Amino acid sequence: MSAFQGPQPDPAAIGRLAKAPFALLPDPAALFRRRAERFEVLAAGSDLAPYLRFLAGLCARQHAIAAALPPAPPLPEARLERARAAAMPLLDRQAMADAPGLPALVAQVLEAMGDLAMPPPAAEALAALRLAEPAERAAMCRNVLADSIPTDALPEHLFLSAALQIEAARQAAALDPARLVPVGTGLCPVCGGPPLASCVTGRPGAEGARYAACGFCGTDWNEVRIKCLACGSTKGIGYRAPEDEAATIKAETCDACRSWVKILYQDRNPALDPLADDVGSLGLDLLMQGTEYRRAGFDPFLIGY
Amino acid sequence: MAGTSLAAMGFGEAEAAVAAHVRPMKLANTTETRNTCPYCSVACGVIIYAKGDVRKGERADIVHIEGDADHPTNLGTLCPKGAALKDFVHAPTRLQYPMVRRPGSDKFERVSWDAALDRIARLMKDDRDANFLASNQEGTAVNRWTTTGMLAASATTNETAWCTFKVAKALGIVGFDNQARV
Repeated sequence: MSAFQGPQPDPAAIGRLAKAPFALLPDPAALFRRRAERFEVLAAGSDLAPYLRFLAGLCARQHAIAAALPPAPPLPEARLERARAAAMPLLDRQAMADAPGLPALVAQVLEAMGDLAMPPPAAEALAALRLAEPAERAAMCRNVLADSIPTDALPEHLFLSAALQIEAARQAAALDPARLVPVGTGLCPVCGGPPLASCVTGRPGAEGARYAACGFCGTDWNEVRIKCLACGSTKGIGYRAPEDEAATIKAETCDACRSWVKILYQDRNPALDPLADDVGSLGLDLLMQGTEYRRAGFDPFLIGY
Repeated sequence: MAGTSLAAMGFGEAEAAVAAHVRPMKLANTTETRNTCPYCSVACGVIIYAKGDVRKGERADIVHIEGDADHPTNLGTLCPKGAALKDFVHAPTRLQYPMVRRPGSDKFERVSWDAALDRIARLMKDDRDANFLASNQEGTAVNRWTTTGMLAASATTNETAWCTFKVAKALGIVGFDNQARV
């Protein structure tokens, strides 16, 4: 008899079938660079070009700062284990507000935005922010961290969101994706934030799986398809898009809680970026305002729809 | 106070331009629905895309069918038959109602469900009466009907498969597969 020993057969792992990874952590520099590039592409020929160009510049500055930052130090083991055991998000947003390095990062971001072309209301808000007392800025950072943006100070909070996104993505990037656990329907497993949109991915090995995108820390996490990201219902889910268009961005509506979240079909258009294309598809938001559904996706650059 | 990011930042004109652009547009309903591939007992999960939503009183047309990436059996993959399901649904030769080709005839004709079920029951009864085995070679009482077989569908629930099994086995059908094997 032959002494040849081939690989042991594993009937559970046939072909190329692989389970889609639960979470995709951001690479901060790449995340902001991709957004900036996508905003530039979307700006060409769009009615929304002035805002898209402004955000392209903002993301390019986020990229420059994120690329120069050192990696975040690892979080204490005890805290990670406690969060994981209780199925809580791994990043503590409260702790982020009190982080000693945050005021300097915010100041750096506000400084970097100085040469960005913007309309007077935005420029005035930026100037006011740069002159604001540290305590005042810290209070506004807490609003951003709580995802509760006061509608009478949207521009100030938009700039601070841009700064905090850098820190959140940096901290998320330092985590071990294998330690992430689902913390609840429509909640980011890294920072606990709501999704800004979700994407049906074309990633090799995960084709057709859906990933919700966090607008705060840039993490993408797997969510079952045909499910409301606001309430978790799988009944009464529909998809709306403008007629006569091979739409790759649709509104996923839920008849149970009457809310909707954008879904982007990256399997049909790999160029789609959840944050940039969320702003770029403002027309869908305006059309959805005439329906019985309310927007549940949270995008710090697109508030009020 | 302006209530949107765009207006507050001073991009109100761009927002108004988008609003003007989309004003004449209408939203269309589409649906995505989970189902099970009807071909074999592997019972792969599929997602059926349709234009129009029957729940909103519209006519729904199936435009695309693909593997369900969330389904534990196939993780989004389909075999060539499953990948061609849309054409199966829309096939002009698809059987949509009972038809019969009578002895000596060369074509099928449509019959009612009542007529079809009556005829099936009649043929089953005649065959079972003629060939039923009530005892085996040792004289032990058995319930055995070996001249008729039954093949059931894959896309059934456990409950449907249970009922199917009971019906077939109560009649004594031996050659039986309800495709609940996998």
